[in-house]
Amino acid sequence: MSALLQVKNVTKRYGGLTANNDISFDVAENEILSVIGPNGAGKSTLFKMITSFTPTSSGEVIYRGERISNLKPHIVARKGVVRTFQETTIFKSMTVRESVVVAQHLRAKASLAGYFWGSKTARDDVTTFEKYADELLEFLGMSPISGEQASNLPQGSLRALGIAIGLATDPKVLLLDEPFAGMNHDETMNMVNLVRSVRNERGVTVMLVEHDMPAVMKISDRIVVLNFGEKIAEGTPSEIQNNEKVIEAYLGSVDDEIGM
Amino acid sequence: MLNFSKTQIMGVVAFLAIFFVGVPVLIAATGRWDFYFTLTSVALLAIASAGVWLTFYIGRINIGQGAFALVGAYVSAILVVKTGWSFWLSLPAAGLFAALVAVLIGLPILRLRGVYFAMITLVLTQVATLTALALPITNGAKGITSIPLPGAISIFSMPLVPDFSTLENARMAFYFTAIILMIITYAALYRLVNSRLGHLCRSMQQNEELASSIGVNITYIRILIFAISSFFGGIGGAMFGSISQSVYPATFVVKDSVDFMLNCFLGGLGYVFGPMLGTLALYFGWDLLFEFGKYQMLIYATLLIIIIRFLPNGLLSIRLGKGGVK
Amino acid sequence: MANGVYLGSQYAMIALGLTLIFALMNVLNFAHGQMYVIGGFVTYTFYGQWGVPFVLALFMSCITLAIVGALIERYLFAPVIKGSAREESTMLLAAGIAFLLDALILLIFGEKQRGVPKIVDGVFNWDFRLIMPYDRILICILAILSIVAFIALMQYSKTGRALRALAQDRTAAQLMGVNVDRYSMIGFALGAMLAGLVGGLLVTITGINLGMGGPTSIKAFMMVMIGGAGVISGAIWGGFILGFMEAFGLAYLSQYGDITYLLIFVSLMIFLAIRPQGLMGKPWG
Repeated sequence: MSALLQVKNVTKRYGGLTANNDISFDVAENEILSVIGPNGAGKSTLFKMITSFTPTSSGEVIYRGERISNLKPHIVARKGVVRTFQETTIFKSMTVRESVVVAQHLRAKASLAGYFWGSKTARDDVTTFEKYADELLEFLGMSPISGEQASNLPQGSLRALGIAIGLATDPKVLLLDEPFAGMNHDETMNMVNLVRSVRNERGVTVMLVEHDMPAVMKISDRIVVLNFGEKIAEGTPSEIQNNEKVIEAYLGSVDDEIGM
Repeated sequence: MLNFSKTQIMGVVAFLAIFFVGVPVLIAATGRWDFYFTLTSVALLAIASAGVWLTFYIGRINIGQGAFALVGAYVSAILVVKTGWSFWLSLPAAGLFAALVAVLIGLPILRLRGVYFAMITLVLTQVATLTALALPITNGAKGITSIPLPGAISIFSMPLVPDFSTLENARMAFYFTAIILMIITYAALYRLVNSRLGHLCRSMQQNEELASSIGVNITYIRILIFAISSFFGGIGGAMFGSISQSVYPATFVVKDSVDFMLNCFLGGLGYVFGPMLGTLALYFGWDLLFEFGKYQMLIYATLLIIIIRFLPNGLLSIRLGKGGVK
Repeated sequence: MANGVYLGSQYAMIALGLTLIFALMNVLNFAHGQMYVIGGFVTYTFYGQWGVPFVLALFMSCITLAIVGALIERYLFAPVIKGSAREESTMLLAAGIAFLLDALILLIFGEKQRGVPKIVDGVFNWDFRLIMPYDRILICILAILSIVAFIALMQYSKTGRALRALAQDRTAAQLMGVNVDRYSMIGFALGAMLAGLVGGLLVTITGINLGMGGPTSIKAFMMVMIGGAGVISGAIWGGFILGFMEAFGLAYLSQYGDITYLLIFVSLMIFLAIRPQGLMGKPWG
């Protein structure tokens, strides 16, 4: 198992507050790895650091031998490490299809000037983008809503749209921010299957931050557990379920977070 | 991408016919030669407003266009008067210089959003006026006057554009120049908005974070757009200076910057041709109200407030309805 | 130095009014400078024209502006904010109101520069080290007292607490039982009143004219940006910092013309590049 992405001794401090303290773990190619932990455990901050949305205070993130922390988000995205957001972060007044077309911007072959003059390459690009957008939406089962404006979509479809936008960039690693939040059981199971097929059929390595324990147990190859900014455990779902520290951390906090 | 629908072509043809045939015929018939000047001003202000509209397109409220118009006017005036450049060369130079200034100023201030960006751009206009007053090269409050009219352009001794000072009716020549520039500006704007750059701008307007997560270099696009916007401002300003043959620190002031913004709002931010319509409506509205003498400002302001109160999406929203807003 | 305190205290009051309105409604009040000019003219009319005692004239300025502010909020800003999702519309409205007030000032008070007789004569002279007319000192003290009174009002009164709750979080304030509409109006009126008060104070020294509105608004924007928008302490800091910079600039750089403002602007830009949220503001976005 070779590491595709390594988190090395990453620490984040906000003023006197330590959101993440000396966290290290590896992500292997083609695996689904979940980061879990009670509220305020520093999961989202960790995601932000991996995608360079916020700089690390110390430590680094290595992707294919290159440091990707403390860069700009768009550069990290160009290297193939792309995150999604929770549902409110979308292109509100674009349709589903338009969003997915725009998100393929990294694959453009023609220059911006080429687009302005309408060069052959640019026109080919547009055809390719639109074709790929339709394919992708088909794959995600979103073809029926491809013409809908994003702001009119229900929550579940918004989450799927977020993933569609992320996938459109053709990522190698996709980081999902709470993909199951606010979903009922059926919706969650659909999403679990979707994320799996993203990994199985498109060869995308998936990392996710999540609260929903049953879904996490079902979907993950491995799990990293954070508590108060520290990594307290790492392992397969069954190892995590029987880990003393983890049980303690969860029992010590709000009980409904276990949900098992 | 270049195949337009029939109605679009008809629209463009009708538009060209109105400005190149209709207006001159009408003016010749009515003898209102001053209308040339009015329409020329509208065209030039519409060019500057197009720039403001473009900054709106990346989600920034730009009340600093007056500064760039002033920069453009001074650059062209100085090049023509002090170094003897041809006006036609100084025009792009003015635009490029304004764009360069925009890049330098934009680097720090484009990080600001919303009202903060609006405030700083407004301050920028005031500073441009003060700078023009303070610098020796701009000649302080006296400004630069008696700027020669644009000269001739010829390629291989084939005259393309005649020397404006030899023309019997320089106003008409300015009118045609301004209209052609305006058409180029809006054609460019239309292409830009409907090209990939336009889509990226829209993605940034709606969510900068998400845009950067899909690999959009938002800093670069912001600067690029602000530079293009200021380029339009510089061109409009330079041309304006050439028509009035003078530039003063007060040629473009805060009120003008606010007007440019109002033009965009009034026309509608969702439509490429909104600022053109807005400029026309605002400028003519102001002129028509001249009859009311000292109540002009009062009525103008009241009308403006009423429009904002009841048509928050701009004039074009009447025709297209609410669904047409991008 | 003394001039800095004097200018700073005036500026801080203007910035306070603007920042209050901004914090409450997220509206950039372009018409703030015009409100200030109206305040000046009202005091001029009562005190200079009709011989009403100065304090009473000042009071009339406050009342007039509070009413104007309340009406503008109730009948213009509130409906536009409700009817439109984008914050740009309110800016457009504010610009329209600025034009309207300018027009009204022109019609009612004319375009002449107006001044009033000095309220106190004499010059304070401390060993020729500090020379300052008494009226400036008095106005300065009045301004500082007003600022203190304003802060006290915001800190300790029920209205002040409601306004602060509103500024922090509209929805939460509503849930806590604050009458949002009513307090928005009060807050706007209070902000306008502060502008009127400064106008009334300053007319005794520099006089007042129609053209002062726009530049005053711009200075107020700068102060608010220095201190951080929507923060009371920030507005006071911003006001004093700009006041001091201007006083020093005018004292030492006046031979270079208007270069002071250019320098102030350049430093503001550098400052904002490093700290976009201003001195006291919280980071956003």
